[in-house]
Amino acid sequence: MEDQIKLFLSNRAWASEKLQDDPTYFENLAKDQRPDYLWIGCSDSRVPANEIIGAEPGELFVHRNIANMVVHTDLNLLSVLQYAVEYLEVKHIIVCGHTGCGGVKAALTNQSYGLLNKWLRNLKDVYRLHKEEVDAEVGEEARLNKMVEMNLIEQVGNVVKTSIVQKAWKDNNRPHVHGWVYEMHSGLLRTVIDVAPGAPIDPMYVFD
Amino acid sequence: MKISTKDISASVVVFLVALPLCLGIAHASGVPVMSGLIAGIVGGVVVGFMSGSHVSVSGPAAGLITLVEASLHDLSGGKDAVIASSALQAFAAALVIAGLLQMLLGLLKVGKLADFIPVSVIKGMLAAIGIMLILKQVPHLVGWDADDFGDEGFIQHDGQTTFSEILVAFEHLTPLAIFVGVLGLIIQFSWETKLFKRAKILQLIPAPLVVVIIGVVSNALAIRYEPSFIIEKSHLVNIPNFMDPGMAMSSMILPNFGALGSLLVWVIAIKITLIASIESLLSIEASDKIDTHKRVTPPNRELVAQGFGNTIAGLLGGIPVTAVIVRSSANVNAGGMTKWSAIFHGVWLTLAVLMFPNVLNLIPNSALAAVLIFVGYKLAKPSLIKQEWAKGNMSFVPFIITVVSILFSDLLIGILIGMAVAFFYIIKSNFHKSLTLVKIEDNFMVRFQQQVTFLNKSLLKNMLEELPSNCNAILDLTHCTFMDRDILDIIDDFQVRSAEKSIKLSFEFLNESHKLKLLGELNCNFISKIK
Repeated sequence: MEDQIKLFLSNRAWASEKLQDDPTYFENLAKDQRPDYLWIGCSDSRVPANEIIGAEPGELFVHRNIANMVVHTDLNLLSVLQYAVEYLEVKHIIVCGHTGCGGVKAALTNQSYGLLNKWLRNLKDVYRLHKEEVDAEVGEEARLNKMVEMNLIEQVGNVVKTSIVQKAWKDNNRPHVHGWVYEMHSGLLRTVIDVAPGAPIDPMYVFD
Repeated sequence: MKISTKDISASVVVFLVALPLCLGIAHASGVPVMSGLIAGIVGGVVVGFMSGSHVSVSGPAAGLITLVEASLHDLSGGKDAVIASSALQAFAAALVIAGLLQMLLGLLKVGKLADFIPVSVIKGMLAAIGIMLILKQVPHLVGWDADDFGDEGFIQHDGQTTFSEILVAFEHLTPLAIFVGVLGLIIQFSWETKLFKRAKILQLIPAPLVVVIIGVVSNALAIRYEPSFIIEKSHLVNIPNFMDPGMAMSSMILPNFGALGSLLVWVIAIKITLIASIESLLSIEASDKIDTHKRVTPPNRELVAQGFGNTIAGLLGGIPVTAVIVRSSANVNAGGMTKWSAIFHGVWLTLAVLMFPNVLNLIPNSALAAVLIFVGYKLAKPSLIKQEWAKGNMSFVPFIITVVSILFSDLLIGILIGMAVAFFYIIKSNFHKSLTLVKIEDNFMVRFQQQVTFLNKSLLKNMLEELPSNCNAILDLTHCTFMDRDILDIIDDFQVRSAEKSIKLSFEFLNESHKLKLLGELNCNFISKIK
C-alpha cells in the first residue's frame, strides 16, 4: 500500500468517527470559525499544536515556522497575525517554543545551511542580545534550552511591537500575549512570559 | 456545626412526615408500633449523627416491609397470623448481626458500588417515588385509611392495588378530611408563589406545620360546633400511650442472642444487610441529587453509619433502618441544610413518644397526606420529566422504564429493571463506537477506538469477513488502550484467514511500548508475528 493511501484511510476513519458522535459535526464546522487563540509555534513534527492542548478543530488559529519566529518583515506571519487579531478577534496569542529545538541548535553553531542561514540569522541576533544569560548555563543542553527561553521572550516582544497588536490593545484591550515552552521529555507546557494588554513597551517601538 | 433555625423548622416537618410513616411501616411489617418508632429515633439521632450526608434522613423503610414480615413469619415457625414474641427477639438478634455486617461492608469500601447506578435510573426512582406518594396518599387525603401509611408496593397490604385503592377510597369520603387535605395542598402551593414568598414572616413558618395546625383546629371546631362533620379517630394519628407502665414494658423487645445458633437467623441477617445497604446507597445517591448544594455523601461512611444504626436498633428491639427518600426530600423541601434537621427529627420523635402522644393523636391523616402529596409533586414535577426527555433516548428510556417498573412492582425490582435498560443503552452505544471500517479502492482500514471488548466481537468478525481477497488491510490500533482476550483471538484467527485470502495485513500501533502493553498484558503468543 502506498504511504499516502494510509493517510487517506486514516482521514476517512477520523471523519466517520466524528460523524458517529455528531452527524452535523462538519456542517457546523463549515459554517464559520471563531477561535479564541492564535498559536505561533515551531514546525517540529513532535509539537502538534492542537493535540498537546486538546484543542478541537475550530478552536485554534495556527502559524508554524522553524523556531517559532516572529519576524517583522515576514509577510506570511504578519498576514496571519492581522487576520487573527482584526477579523477573528482572538483573545490570546500564544508563542510556543520547545526544548531541544533543532532551529535554535543550528543557529548556535557556525555551520552553513544555505538559504536557511538567513532565517537562522534572526536567532543569532537573539543570542547576541542574551549572550550573558545563555553562556551562564553549563552544558550543551542547558545552554540550548536557555536560548529557547530567551528566543521566546524576544518573539513575544516582537508580537507586541507590531502596530496590529498595539492598535488592538488600545481599541479593544486584547489580546493577551503568552510565551510558553513545551518540555519535550515530559510533554508538559510551562509559562516563560505573559504580557497583558496595555503593558509597557520600549518607547522606541510604540506607534501613535 | 452550627444549628440554624432553618434546620430546626425543617426538622419539625420531617418529624411530622416521619411519624405516620414509622407507625405505618411498623404496622405493615407486623411488629409493634413501638419498634417502628425506635427505628425512626435511631435513624434520626444515631445514623443522622454518624452519616456524612447533610440532607439525608434515615428511619424504617417501606422497602424492607416484605422482608421483615416474611422473616417474622419464618421465625414463628410458619404459623400464620400470630407472631411469637420469641420470633421478635430472634429477629432483633438478626438485626444486630446485620448491622455489624453492614459496618463491615462499609469498612471494606463496598459503598463505591453505588457510583455504578446510572443517573437516569436514580432520577427515575425519584420521580417514581413522587408519583407513588401522590397515588398512595390520595385515599388518605379523602379520609380512607385502609392501607398503611408508607406502603410502597403496587399490590398493597390491604389486598388492593395502588389504583383500585383510589377507586375504593372515593366510595368512602370524609368531607372534613377532604377539606383539610385540599386546603392543605392549596396552602403549600401558595407558599411557593411570589406573593407569599415576599411575606418574610410567613416564610419562617414551614407550610406543612400550618397544614397540620389547620387540620387539628378544623376538627376541634367540628367537635365543638358540628359533630356530624367530625373526622373519626380511625382517621387521626394513633400513637399508643407508652407512658402507661404496662404498655411500655410489654412493647419492649430485647434481642435473644441464643437464637444465633439457628441458621435461619443468619440467613435473615444477611438478607437485611444486603437489602438495607442497597436501599441506603440508592437513597443517598438520590438525596445528593436533590440537595440544593449538590454535596456528595461518602458511601462507605454511610454504610458504617447505617450499620451502627441497625445494631442499636436491634439492641433496642427496632426494625431495620435505611436512608429514606421521602423523608429526605421532605427535609430538602422544608429547607434543611445540615444534618441537624435529621438529628432533631429523631429528638422530636422521642419527645412525641414520651411526652405528648395525646396532642399528636389530634392530627388528621389527611393533613399529613397533603404534606406527602406535595413532597411527591416536588419529586415528580412535569418540568423534571421534560428535562429528562430533552436529554434523548439514552437517558429518557431508562428513566421512564424505571418509573413505570417501580410503580407496578416495588423499589428494588424497579431499580433492577431500570439498570438493566440503562446498561443495555450503555453497551449499545459502546458497541457502535468501538470500530470503524473505511475503504479506498482495494485498501481497507479497521480503526479500533479506545476500548474494544467481547461486546464488539461480532462487529469485528463481520468487518474482517467483509474484506475481499487480495486487498490491503490495516488494523489501526493507535487509539486503542484496551482490548480483551476475545478480540485478540479474533485477530489471531484472522492472521491465518488473511493469509489464505491473500490479504496483505498490517498493524498500526502508537509505538513499540504501546504495542507491547496492548498485546503483552494478554500474554499474546503471536506477538512476535505482528510487526
